[in-house]
Amino acid sequence: MDEVELDKAKATPGLSRRQFLTRTAMGGAGLAGVGLLATPANVIKAATGGGGNFPTHPNWKFTFVNHVTTNPFFVPTTYALQDACSVLKVSYQWTGSTSSNVTNMVDSINTAVSAGVDGIATSIVDPTAFDAPIANALKAGIPVVSYNADAPTPLVNQRMAYIGQDLYASGQAMGDQILKVVKEGLVAIGIATPGQLNIQPRFDGAQAQIKASGLPITVELVNTSASVPNELSIVEAYYLGHTTMKGFYAVDAGSGEGIAETSRKYNFPSKGIHTGGFDLLPVTLTAIKDGFFGFTIDQQPYLQGFYPLVQLFLYKLSGGLMFPCDTSTGLKFVTKSNVGLYLKGKSRFEGSTSKELLIK
Amino acid sequence: MSSEPVTTTRLQRGTGWARLRKLVGSVVGRREAGILVVAVALTIYFQIITGRFISGSNFITVTQLTAATAIIACGEVLLLICGEIDLSVGNTFALVPFILLFCTQADMPLPLAMIVSLAVGGVIGFINGCVTVFLKVPSFVATLGMLFLLNGLTLTITNGYPSAAPTVGQASVVLGSAPASEILWAVGILILMQLLLTRTRFGPHVIAVGGNMMGARESGVSVPFVKIASFVMAGVLAGFAGILDSFRVGSIDPLQGGTEIMFMAVAGAVIGGTALTGGSGTVVGAFLGVVVLSLLNDGFTFIGISAFAFDIILGGAILVVMVVNVYLGRLRIRRLSQ
Repeated sequence: MDEVELDKAKATPGLSRRQFLTRTAMGGAGLAGVGLLATPANVIKAATGGGGNFPTHPNWKFTFVNHVTTNPFFVPTTYALQDACSVLKVSYQWTGSTSSNVTNMVDSINTAVSAGVDGIATSIVDPTAFDAPIANALKAGIPVVSYNADAPTPLVNQRMAYIGQDLYASGQAMGDQILKVVKEGLVAIGIATPGQLNIQPRFDGAQAQIKASGLPITVELVNTSASVPNELSIVEAYYLGHTTMKGFYAVDAGSGEGIAETSRKYNFPSKGIHTGGFDLLPVTLTAIKDGFFGFTIDQQPYLQGFYPLVQLFLYKLSGGLMFPCDTSTGLKFVTKSNVGLYLKGKSRFEGSTSKELLIK
Repeated sequence: MSSEPVTTTRLQRGTGWARLRKLVGSVVGRREAGILVVAVALTIYFQIITGRFISGSNFITVTQLTAATAIIACGEVLLLICGEIDLSVGNTFALVPFILLFCTQADMPLPLAMIVSLAVGGVIGFINGCVTVFLKVPSFVATLGMLFLLNGLTLTITNGYPSAAPTVGQASVVLGSAPASEILWAVGILILMQLLLTRTRFGPHVIAVGGNMMGARESGVSVPFVKIASFVMAGVLAGFAGILDSFRVGSIDPLQGGTEIMFMAVAGAVIGGTALTGGSGTVVGAFLGVVVLSLLNDGFTFIGISAFAFDIILGGAILVVMVVNVYLGRLRIRRLSQ
């Protein structure tokens, strides 16, 4: 058939009106099919009108751009967006990249600007790539804040505020914890995507704290990859090649989970290997409870959705009087002494359930 | 029978209508017509839904979404036509900008640095071609191995760290940092590749190799040369796309591109009418196929579809588009065979 096509490609292309209309109709039918798929049910919307004491206002749309949109860490963040939208009677869009692809995130911001959204919140995971898109958004009158990961200092990026954990300080805090239990030897720190601004500052902070102590501790960076299943394999392989290590830590959720599982499998506590990490994946929390993982650091991802949306809303409602401000979402150590609170039941705030529950 | 006298005006009018119909037919009768209709229809649909889809800034966004993938698709079309595939183009896309960066950091003049870095892309393609042709490893497997190799190599030489795009002064404007430069390069490459396929001996040789390799060989076509040259071109184009995109974003990331852009390029080629089985293909169709994918991507983001539902809708839309395109293609072939 294809050879025939080629041979007949030079045939005089006459076409009847009927055939042309048929083709156009087919194209339209296809389009209608696409339209059916993209029905309003798939678009997150909330009712118009005021919420609580607030006056009636348009159904503003806020776009949240994320570097790992389908990562379970941000499930509570999306729940927070739903809750905030429900209270404030606005709507949100959750978009970006599934794999820390900076180009995709930049494209998402540009599309949001073209679409004329009412506010943008984005994680800034690259030192320079977000400067121009955010500047363009601000020029178009769209307020922009960053959350979860921020631009490096001195600040060139023009985002209005950062809402999230102080990443470098959290790394320093982890470094202090490491120094409490490790006095010499090899300490490995796992990181999924080296260089990216959402986690690299933690490693930098921890390394700086350890170096400043003057103790004979060697810190090694372990690139565990952005894929959670891969992270476990890489962590295990690293351990098997460095069984005399004194500490194995993580600066991201996936690496922490991999270390927790490896610790359980090889019984790190019996070998004097100390562990710790970030975020609250169930495997990590259970390992803390069972004594196989030393600590994890909670940065409250729910608040990283709730606060930015509220700040953008207030900026819009007040005509710019309520200017977004830097907000810390906390730095809490979760250890065996307090992990019970996180394990006692499912919680929308941790992402383990979508149900709205009053937790006592 | 009309009572109106046969005047020059009436004759001219009739001839004019016939010419217009012929012109419209010549466009609509082409294999790419179906995908063009879908692209136009999508644009109209998103404009109706959003009221502001057709705007200068969004046009730039769509062109930026299209350009790099379209350039890669042009190279991928050559390979698909001659019955092969290159899965490693997305990783060539990631590696070559870093080679350019290292060359400029070593104070190499920009033109030479460009040649060296594009040559790396060509060498990757050459290796892929040689492994496929001389070692008889299926290109799917050969380039899959190259994919992992390049991924590891890029991570190793960069320590996994992203870097700012090379500092090249005003040249960056031409190399992608200006809003329209990337798409202009893509259109230019499209024209060159279309000329290569339709106006040179190489084009029919590629088609012959993909359609009937034995017959092509017996007709005197150098099958190894055709295939290896196609792999080299795919590698060079992938590397160039990576360079352009890096200047556009201002940053080079070892994680950029990868299988995502490779699959989008192949999908664009197939949606545009290139046969996965070889022997038939069109770079114009591939370009339009990538445009359709970019319109879908941009349009759904424009509407406000959130990430979790996004892939469901995008996947469904691609299936619908493909079904429509296949049907339109069958209509066209039926008409041609009448």
